[in-house]
Amino acid sequence: MAKVAIEMVKKAGVNVKQLLELLVNNAAAELTTYYYYTILRANLIGLDGETIKEIAETARIEDRNHFEALVPRIYELGGKLPESMVEFHNCSACPPATLPKNAKDVKAILTVLVEAERCAVRGYTNICNITAGKDHRTYDLALSILNEEIEHESWFSEFLGEGPSGHFLRRGETSPFVSKFLK
Amino acid sequence: MRTFTEKELKKYDGRNGIAYIAYRGKVYDVSASYHWRKGIHQAMHRAGCDLTEALEQAPHDPDLLEKFPIVGELVN
Repeated sequence: MAKVAIEMVKKAGVNVKQLLELLVNNAAAELTTYYYYTILRANLIGLDGETIKEIAETARIEDRNHFEALVPRIYELGGKLPESMVEFHNCSACPPATLPKNAKDVKAILTVLVEAERCAVRGYTNICNITAGKDHRTYDLALSILNEEIEHESWFSEFLGEGPSGHFLRRGETSPFVSKFLK
Repeated sequence: MRTFTEKELKKYDGRNGIAYIAYRGKVYDVSASYHWRKGIHQAMHRAGCDLTEALEQAPHDPDLLEKFPIVGELVN
């Protein structure tokens, strides 16, 4: 626990208990998404599916990185992860990204992926709004994650025909924004 | 259409499984929403309240409410 760090955040007017609940819920969303994306990725097959498999994999790995990056901040602020994995799953900030009934429907899988990313974008925008100018470290972390979630959303959105993402996919290493929290 | 006072609306805070929220005079049933489990949304908002002001600050548009049934009107 980082006592002075917590004191600074409280003094700035942030409700630390509420913030911790948000961080834990979003950490749960990241780890459960990592799990559910594993299943989605495995089902992205065939001519259409293989096209999307690589970005689903990048998003999957980066979501796990987000979980890893969030955990230290949760403990720094005096919080902890639930002891039960079931409890952790069920407190997720976002609904489970489960495989659509028709697992061969690539568009339906893409819709699940984009909705999961949109939930994450809303969640981290909320955390940024709460912490901006008050809790600099959590803000920096949430903003870094937000940058990656926005890119994930735009990749899947592009494949759904909603318009160009405006940027390339990853070339080489994953998590260009969050990696500084993983070292 | 059923009318709710703020006091009546408070009964539907999600603790009994029914979660209603008000926005711009309309009362929405959000009980079935994943994001309103146990009547709590994003660790910050409790059902059974008028969330008109809070929704102006939310990281989503109020039109997300359109998918939820309107169950009444909020009166003063």
